[in-house]
Amino acid sequence: MLAASRSKRKPVKSSSKPPHSLWREIAKARWPYLFIFPFYLSFFIFGLYSTIFSFYLSFTEWKGLGPIKLVGLKNYVSLFKDKVFIQSMENGFLLFFLYVPLMTFLALILAVVLNSKRVRGFQFFRTIIFMPFIMNIAAAGFAFRLVLNQKYGVVNNLLAGIFNIPPIPWLESIWGARVSLCLLIIWAWLGYNMVIMLAGLQTIPSELTEAAMIDGANPTQSFFYIIIPLMRPVILFSVVLSLMGSFGLFNEVFILTGGGPMNATLTPFVDIFNQAFANFRFGYASAMAYVYFVILFALTLIQVSYFGKRVD
Amino acid sequence: MFTRRLSRWTGDTLMYALLIGVCTFMLFPFLWMVITSLKTADEIFHIPMIVIPAHPDLHAYIYLMQQYPVFRVIWNTFIIATSGTVLSLFFCSLAGYAFAKFKFPGQKALFSFLLGTMVIPSAVTLVPIFLIMRDLKWIDTILPLIIPGAANAFGIFFMRQYISTISEDIMDAARIDGAGEFTIYWRIIVPIIAPGLTSLGLIFFMGAWNAIMGPLIYLKSPENFTLPLIIRSMTSPVGRTIYDTQMAASVISIIPLLIIFLIFQRRLMEGIAAGAVKG
Amino acid sequence: MSHKMIHKLMSVILLSVMLLSACAPKPTPAPATQAPATSAPATSAPATSAPANLSGKLTVWCWKAAWTDSIVKSGGLDTFKAQNPNVEIEYVEISPADIYQKLPMAISAGTGAPDFACVESSHLAQIVALGGLTDLTTQVQPYVDKMNAYKWSDAMLDGKYYAMPWDSGPVVTYYRRDVFEAAGLASDPDSVSALIATWDDYLNVCKTIKQKTGDDCFASNKANNDARLYEMMLWQQGLGYTNAAGKVTVDSPENIATLEELKKFWDANLLSDQSAWTDGWYAELAAGGMTPIATVGPGTPEAPAVKPVATLVEAAWMGVFLKSWIAVGTEGLWGVALMPAMKAGQVRASNDGGSNVVIPDQSQNKDAAWALAEWLFGRTDSQVAIFKANDIFPSLESAYADPIFSEADPFFGNQNVRTTYVEAVKIVPVGYIYGPNYALMNRYVQTAIQKVSTGTASVADALKEAADAIRNDTGLP
Repeated sequence: MLAASRSKRKPVKSSSKPPHSLWREIAKARWPYLFIFPFYLSFFIFGLYSTIFSFYLSFTEWKGLGPIKLVGLKNYVSLFKDKVFIQSMENGFLLFFLYVPLMTFLALILAVVLNSKRVRGFQFFRTIIFMPFIMNIAAAGFAFRLVLNQKYGVVNNLLAGIFNIPPIPWLESIWGARVSLCLLIIWAWLGYNMVIMLAGLQTIPSELTEAAMIDGANPTQSFFYIIIPLMRPVILFSVVLSLMGSFGLFNEVFILTGGGPMNATLTPFVDIFNQAFANFRFGYASAMAYVYFVILFALTLIQVSYFGKRVD
Repeated sequence: MFTRRLSRWTGDTLMYALLIGVCTFMLFPFLWMVITSLKTADEIFHIPMIVIPAHPDLHAYIYLMQQYPVFRVIWNTFIIATSGTVLSLFFCSLAGYAFAKFKFPGQKALFSFLLGTMVIPSAVTLVPIFLIMRDLKWIDTILPLIIPGAANAFGIFFMRQYISTISEDIMDAARIDGAGEFTIYWRIIVPIIAPGLTSLGLIFFMGAWNAIMGPLIYLKSPENFTLPLIIRSMTSPVGRTIYDTQMAASVISIIPLLIIFLIFQRRLMEGIAAGAVKG
Repeated sequence: MSHKMIHKLMSVILLSVMLLSACAPKPTPAPATQAPATSAPATSAPATSAPANLSGKLTVWCWKAAWTDSIVKSGGLDTFKAQNPNVEIEYVEISPADIYQKLPMAISAGTGAPDFACVESSHLAQIVALGGLTDLTTQVQPYVDKMNAYKWSDAMLDGKYYAMPWDSGPVVTYYRRDVFEAAGLASDPDSVSALIATWDDYLNVCKTIKQKTGDDCFASNKANNDARLYEMMLWQQGLGYTNAAGKVTVDSPENIATLEELKKFWDANLLSDQSAWTDGWYAELAAGGMTPIATVGPGTPEAPAVKPVATLVEAAWMGVFLKSWIAVGTEGLWGVALMPAMKAGQVRASNDGGSNVVIPDQSQNKDAAWALAEWLFGRTDSQVAIFKANDIFPSLESAYADPIFSEADPFFGNQNVRTTYVEAVKIVPVGYIYGPNYALMNRYVQTAIQKVSTGTASVADALKEAADAIRNDTGLP
């Protein structure tokens, strides 16, 4: 069992050999199989089994204690009539359009600005802009709540003092809450996205931009015609991540608005969590999770194929 | 020529203005949090607004330490983050090494499968995992927070990319010398990939330190809480929300990560960039 | 080195096998844990001294205002411990909202539940319906007709009792005498009671106050409304979210009419928009009493001082909150009148809140837990002591005979407010607000009220939407 030495000088071909060779391959490869085994075991239990069990639960009514009651498609039917869930899905889209374009664009601009040699203090700015990412959302969220308080918050006080603007109901109104949520998200994630953009920018050879400059292009032109096209994969990556993120928003919503006035900031994930752990409707929550899964999957496919096509 | 200079100058100013503006936006909540933690309760909600407290002091911190098991909570958070990170780094690097440096039947399929598992949103497995943990009697322990995530696809993917850049020669030499596979991993590979481990480790550590949902579901007794949970427990509908204490707790929750971040920021950002660009 | 390898491999395999075998969750777990408690026989008589041979450790989950500030302060805990020296009590401070989440989770998780948990009436039925509580039918028998009658419905399931009532929340109208006087209105309790005999009368009084003083009548936030005032208005009419037969009545004509009545106050711009339990809300209640702090800071605008709010329709437990921490500086400025009736001649009282105690079935010390519950809440002396400590209004009716309920309270201008509370609690009808699905129904109705108050929807539409969603979710007719 203990292979003391192994020679790997002979390359291994396994495609057109008789089966007993395949088994020898497998036997020889017991170490890598062992090394990857924990992942598959973990996935088997916490991934595969759980996903299947969740599917089963979605056809039941169960409070977590007592007998499980099979109810067929009742949960799914209820879901289609569930205005709160539908609202949460709408919110996913709404929030996405509200913060993703702005955040992605800002991240890109900041990355370009920092990357250009003309600005000093690269390290300093990058550090500061990235810093919110390391903060836990409980701390950040409650700080935001304080700052955005309609009557006593510093933001409204400043706006009133400097610009004479009447108090804005940040967390007290439907759109105010959405905007506040987006502010928190952008605050927390801008630095992260900027770092991704920076990495992407660094793969663009500087000769390209320099050549463009020599040809007479001004910075704006080089930005639009060189940087953006070359950054497409990175931008796509960032946007796809954000789409999944906006539907799956949990921490920010949970802390800042709890779902918002009249469910205005409720996201699907928070709704699922509430149904499961506040209402204890495990069956219903599972059905909701599956519908959410399917929709998210479809969206990701659409996004990737649509944008992916336009990448060279 | 002059207009060229002028436009460059305005361009530069605009850029700096943007950067400084964004930085102010980023720093402002931190600052306000710190200032609030030094105010008295009356000064926090006051009309007209009070920016600088009249007598800034650490009473909120003292109250925090007296009324809440703060050190215990910091310890909990630390244990969870550390053990989770170590466990994850171990399993992910092991598997990443296997995928990167070995050839075995079904490798491609297995790896694609691994990537595919990232598609499943955690919402789907939320309830079943809770039920599993309940039956294992792992509720109110740290186990549900560190075991399911130990061997995760993202980490394995990351490590595979990273390790694939290492040349095979060292491994071959070690094998000739009679070293076992695990020893090769432990004594040769791990030291080489230390920077990558640091980057990934930082990402894991941060995620675990700041996590809310897992602790919310699985940690029940206040003395088992993590920092974010304690902060959240300080808002209560009935009764005065102790904003000053809450902000003090928030400040405390940030400081360790801040220190780690400031020391290791380069590694952290490398890790994030690597995950994105090579993805 | 090779041996170490074998060991390492073995432990990995072992761990995996353990995991695989241990975690086969049973889809049909053990039958619902509702077996009657095997408790000691000595609890059938309302004993004034608990048997001294009880021992064990009790974990108590309760919120601070209830436990530390009331029970402990009353001395009831000390006397219990004196009687039962072998019982060790460990107190865990948990807020009511956290108990709603954690207790069901602990019960559902099969581990981690306390022996003795305080549960507010609003969520009692839901926890009872979940299962996992000790059946206390035998134990509470002697107390069934000694407590406020309406308290028992939430504690019951299928004819069995699962909780012991502690305190009730009879609703009254707290009002500011100084504001009424400034508006040229009479400010003594009887006159005020007469002035606000019905909600329409109340509306007119509010208009007068607004006109003469500019003060808001009471606070009821629009976008984040919590529906509690609306629920009080339904309860006083014997209405609720369902009717006695269990049919959803959220969109019934009576419920709609009740919300229309509340809407009148918003339409006339008489209400403050502060959310309950926020600092702005506290500031309004405390206004006229707090001394302002000197301002420091660059160029902050001259904002007007906070104006007091004229009234507050709330339960008896609000009185001690006002007294002890919300409005400390306003002693003597408050009075208590009866709640307005919906229509002339109807009931002028309602209920908001109230708490009870449950004993999860996981408890290993059910006898000791019940003994504690009985000691604290089943005995007149004990309930009176708790009331003296923190104004927690007992559900135990024999307590009302105590002289303290005839005492004047200086905070309320030397009015004997307790008589008013007792008067109110005696006429509270059975309401259908709290029930196993209260949390869900409350959430939907909250949204409805938020829509109505912000002008996003009409009363009928908003309530119908809420009712349909509730029917969809609960399967009730």
